[in-house]
Amino acid sequence: MHHACAAELRAILGADGLVEDRSRRTAYECDGLAFERRLPDLVLLPRDTPEAAACMRVLRRHGVPVVPRGAGTGLTGGATPVAGGVVIGTARMRRVLELNVTDRFARVESGLVNADLTRACAPHGLFYAPDPSSQRACTIGGNVANNAGGPHCFRYGNTTRHVLGLVVVTHDGEVLDLSEPDLDPLGYDLVGLLVGSEGMFGLVTEVTLRLTPSPQRVETLLAIFPSLDAACDAVSDVIAQRLEPSALEILDKLTIEAVEASVFAAGYPASAEAVLLIEVEGSDVEVEVNANEIEAILAGRGALELRRAQTEAERARLWAARKGAYGAMGRVAPDLYVTDVVVPRTKLRDLVHRTTEICRERGLKIANVFHAGDGNLHPNISYDRRDADELARVLDAGTRIMEVCIAAGGTLSGEHGIGLEKQQQMRLYFSPEDLAAMELPRHVFDPEGRMNPGKTLPIRACMETRTKPLDEVTR
Amino acid sequence: MDAATLVDYAKSLDCVHCGLCLQSCPTYRLTGRESSSPRGRVHLMRSVAEGEAPADADFAEEMEFCLLCRGCESVCPSGVQFGRMMETTRGALSEAVERPLVEQLSRSFGFATVLPSRAWLSFLAGLGRFAQQLGLPQLAGQLLGERGAALASMPTIPPANERALLPEHSPAEGPVTGEVAVLEGCVMPELFGRVNRATVRCLTAAGREVHCSRGATCCGSLHAHNGELDLARRLTRETVEAHEALEARVGTELPLVVNSAGCAAHLVAADHLFEHDADFAPRARAFARKVVDFSASLDGPALERLAARLSGGPARRVAWDDPCHLCHGQGVRDEPRRLIDLLPSVERVPLEDSEACCGSAGIYSVLRPDTAAQVFAPKREAFERSGADCLVTANPGCQLQWDAGLRRAGVTAPVLHIAELVAERLPDAPRSDGA
Repeated sequence: MHHACAAELRAILGADGLVEDRSRRTAYECDGLAFERRLPDLVLLPRDTPEAAACMRVLRRHGVPVVPRGAGTGLTGGATPVAGGVVIGTARMRRVLELNVTDRFARVESGLVNADLTRACAPHGLFYAPDPSSQRACTIGGNVANNAGGPHCFRYGNTTRHVLGLVVVTHDGEVLDLSEPDLDPLGYDLVGLLVGSEGMFGLVTEVTLRLTPSPQRVETLLAIFPSLDAACDAVSDVIAQRLEPSALEILDKLTIEAVEASVFAAGYPASAEAVLLIEVEGSDVEVEVNANEIEAILAGRGALELRRAQTEAERARLWAARKGAYGAMGRVAPDLYVTDVVVPRTKLRDLVHRTTEICRERGLKIANVFHAGDGNLHPNISYDRRDADELARVLDAGTRIMEVCIAAGGTLSGEHGIGLEKQQQMRLYFSPEDLAAMELPRHVFDPEGRMNPGKTLPIRACMETRTKPLDEVTR
Repeated sequence: MDAATLVDYAKSLDCVHCGLCLQSCPTYRLTGRESSSPRGRVHLMRSVAEGEAPADADFAEEMEFCLLCRGCESVCPSGVQFGRMMETTRGALSEAVERPLVEQLSRSFGFATVLPSRAWLSFLAGLGRFAQQLGLPQLAGQLLGERGAALASMPTIPPANERALLPEHSPAEGPVTGEVAVLEGCVMPELFGRVNRATVRCLTAAGREVHCSRGATCCGSLHAHNGELDLARRLTRETVEAHEALEARVGTELPLVVNSAGCAAHLVAADHLFEHDADFAPRARAFARKVVDFSASLDGPALERLAARLSGGPARRVAWDDPCHLCHGQGVRDEPRRLIDLLPSVERVPLEDSEACCGSAGIYSVLRPDTAAQVFAPKREAFERSGADCLVTANPGCQLQWDAGLRRAGVTAPVLHIAELVAERLPDAPRSDGA
């Protein structure tokens, strides 16, 4: 790229803050949804908010679309530059700016890796609760954009419950500072609006986050079930009994086989049809009483074996294996389509059945590993994106799964966001009036339609997405 | 460039794009650039193989920028064989890329002439020792500016008596717990003869009859990492044959104890180089199974025997830094810690990110000193936070990198090979740091 726009950006960021050449840009053509790819015209890696704002002003002047990107671990294509333009990566903005142990909040740059925040505050007896499976790689900024969840969000709630403030660079390069950790902001709660907006309302550069006291005691239970049905019923029972574990996860046989073959092997029994992984936290007494009651329910539902992690290392291994499940499925096929739907928890058993059937009917290989406590299903469909026919069947199955979940009173997404993946299916859930209303705030934050265009809200006409390459825009 | 031979396409399909490898990668952490991450590099390789991206100079540069520490393999749930993919790609690149003549000649001199030859290695070590005695490197440092600075920071070459080769046979002390062979190595005897002698000292104290073959010099590990696959194959083959000859002479099968993590990681996978050589592959496979790291070779009765002989030695607070090719390359993590914890008057303190690369990466620190120094910086900070007064590792490259890096920062703590730390607690042992 030899034009004025790139030169201006280079002057702001220095040569190593730009990724210009064709080969290196390839790494930015998709996120975890690898069958949708488009090469960005340029990638920018600012080091702080002022640099990001300066870049945004230049890009505004040249009318260039902007796609924010954290670590590219999203699963819905949210960070894929479908309309071309510039990707702004936050990977060089990863400082912890303030750790307020007394008031229990942290101010961090949005490129900070999720797990690094807990690592930074653990010595003070605090942790950051939302723990997506990709937490060792994904960024806080990406978590904010997608209102990310994770196993422990069953107890602690998704990202939005933990975001106290934000600094956001708007489409025209203005820095909107909403970083004060106010519990009840004066006027509109803009922070609430920005969380989950998938990069369409601006580029989040700093985040103020709630830190949670580490529990006095944690007990990790493992129950082995002869069938997926029994495991689902046990979950429904635990919830109906008003017991509150911090996490309730189900892994099925295929998932267990894949993780046990990997570097994250943790001793999950390969013979089990389903395993329920449960965590109970709190004071000593609370944990003991809860764990015993839960174990009684599990036994009542036919658990073949009950175990408790004996050491902290064993606990860590069980969780690392659970969180490596997506990656471990790479052993089954080159690609994995991770569906993310939510269903009423009383209907878990039926809907797990239904999703499995939908995949079987289409000749697809499905594994189930999901946040059962939240009713958040992740039917994992293995496929090979080079096989167009198989890909078509995968997408068809995905849509069908969303339809049956919505029909059962569920919803489209639990934690991954909409991105490209579920854009068209938004129509299954929302009326045209709803969707039109959603355009309004988007227009306020992004009147020129340059912020992560072509995402989340269904496209009505092809004119809505800018597809002009940067070269032409800026020539 | 031919995309088909440039990339191990089948292996590139193992990556499911989850991204769990990103933070394990020193070059991604340094640059924040995804093309410099394991997932990015695999994606680039696959794109090149599928004809969607060019195999141009930028592609080649990203491949060579990798330290090949294999830290990504330890966190990859999908089991992507990143190291082997990278060796294939570098192998094809080294044939295809046009290098400047000076670089071409010096690579060829180093890889094909010096490393495989004991005569060349000792001649150059002697020459270097002589030059260092005269103070020439310091002089060059002053005269040549930046280029000379590299010369001035070269490791100190020890005197001739420390560069003597190991005896072909060293008898066990007391009752025999087993017979082993040790790998003498190429640069090891020239720069780290004391480590080799400490290794043998520990093994004989543990009741091992120790044999050493003179039949081969370099094992080819550096060649394989740098894309010189034909030479790597030749040298690995010579190493296998030398070991077979030694076994024939001694009249029994021998485990091959290796004190250099880089060499051991290469040799435990030696058979992969001969996938297309049906005659030699079984021999390479049989050999690979016998290769064992020094600390992992000491267990059961041998370890008990060694422990019983340990006494005294200087009091040290040590930080153990896992060499990449020990923890990621061989999966050896507990054994060195177990050995250190046996030692009297040694306290082991935890070192943060001990499995992260120190930037040595074979000859990477010579080829890219600036990057190597940047990769090292957080390692030094972690060492200083640990409160240790001694750094212990198990690979010559790491030892040089740590030693140079700490000295540059004015830190005087000694850097020891784990065998040295053990040996200085055996009867009549000198202090390893000469203090």
